Amino acid sequence: MVKEEILQIIASFIGSMGFAILFNIRGNRLFAASIGGLLSWLFFILINKAIGSEVVAYFLVSCIISVYAEIMARIMKSPTTTFVITSLIPMIPGGSLYYTMVSAFQNNGNDFFQKATHTLELAAALALGVVVVTAFMRMFHKSANQ
Amino acid sequence: MLKLFECAMDIGEQMLISGAEVYRVEESINRMCYAFGAKRVDVFIITSSMVVTIYTNEGETFTQSRRVTTTKFNIEKLHKLNDLSREICEKNLSAEEIRKKLEKAVNSKTFPLWLEFLSSAAIGGAFTLFFGGNFTEAVVSFFVGAVVWLCLYFADRFIPNKIFSKFYASAIATLLAFLSVKFGLIQVEDKVIIGNIMTLIPGIGLTNAIRDLFSGDSIAGLLRFTDAALTALAIAAGYYLIAVVGGVFLW
Repeated sequence: MVKEEILQIIASFIGSMGFAILFNIRGNRLFAASIGGLLSWLFFILINKAIGSEVVAYFLVSCIISVYAEIMARIMKSPTTTFVITSLIPMIPGGSLYYTMVSAFQNNGNDFFQKATHTLELAAALALGVVVVTAFMRMFHKSANQ
Repeated sequence: MLKLFECAMDIGEQMLISGAEVYRVEESINRMCYAFGAKRVDVFIITSSMVVTIYTNEGETFTQSRRVTTTKFNIEKLHKLNDLSREICEKNLSAEEIRKKLEKAVNSKTFPLWLEFLSSAAIGGAFTLFFGGNFTEAVVSFFVGAVVWLCLYFADRFIPNKIFSKFYASAIATLLAFLSVKFGLIQVEDKVIIGNIMTLIPGIGLTNAIRDLFSGDSIAGLLRFTDAALTALAIAAGYYLIAVVGGVFLW
């Protein structure tokens, strides 16, 4: 792996931990949530290299992280949200949003449209991954209760 | 029964405030009320209000509603409330016992302010590195992140409108980034701004919105979606303001 990518992974760990502190996650859960952030970017780099499509990679990573969150939620007896929201922090398309803003500012219509669509695609892929896993887990949960 | 019902409502309200998903709150209230011995429970919850009616075996009906105006993510509190609602379903707690535990959960410890301050700064720095900024840019971003936290902190006290406080935090972050370029601390402003946008961006709001939408809580989902979209617009407006005004007067 390249030096920059390792740096990114470390940065995503620190960033997720920062958010976990802001959301008042404590103890072991703080650590698990931050590791989730690290994992999400690690998987993103790997999958993106293998597939070459950012949007698909976003979707897959979001699925993987949701499963991770479900597992951690069972182990640490905490709501799944705890781990989902912090682990997916590095995946939030902040850079993409910024460049959308800049192209809007520069009055570059075509570019703006392209970037805005890309940002929305990334956000949708992210949320869909979470939704798919949540739906599966609920189905599973229901049939287990019956 | 009425007292117990009130406790369940208060627990639900606090869960909603600390950032729980709508379906979790609905489920918790349902379970708690059935555990109290209700014959039928009708729950309607969106992110900003909740209405619950219960029917008892004695033929009485009770309805209560709550208006929720603030949300502040507090996972520790949510965790404790979740435990409490489970405990209520398993054991027969009296209303006084529940009250005591609820109080404890609501007043659960938070991290000291300086640590929040520091982590906000660290988020700014870390994401500047993350998006490919160099070390100097990360250091600048660290300090900008600290200022942004101060802005949001004071905005929380003096400005009741959350969206406006995001607008002005984004404007200040952009201003500081442009100023550090002007004074030659860094070459380009974009990485510093991106790093600090990450603290303001409603990524979680948007994810939760789509989750709610797909799990059948369409109204709650739409509310969250609107909120996220407006916040994103506010951030963009803050940037726009500085870029335009600065472009005319400063550089």
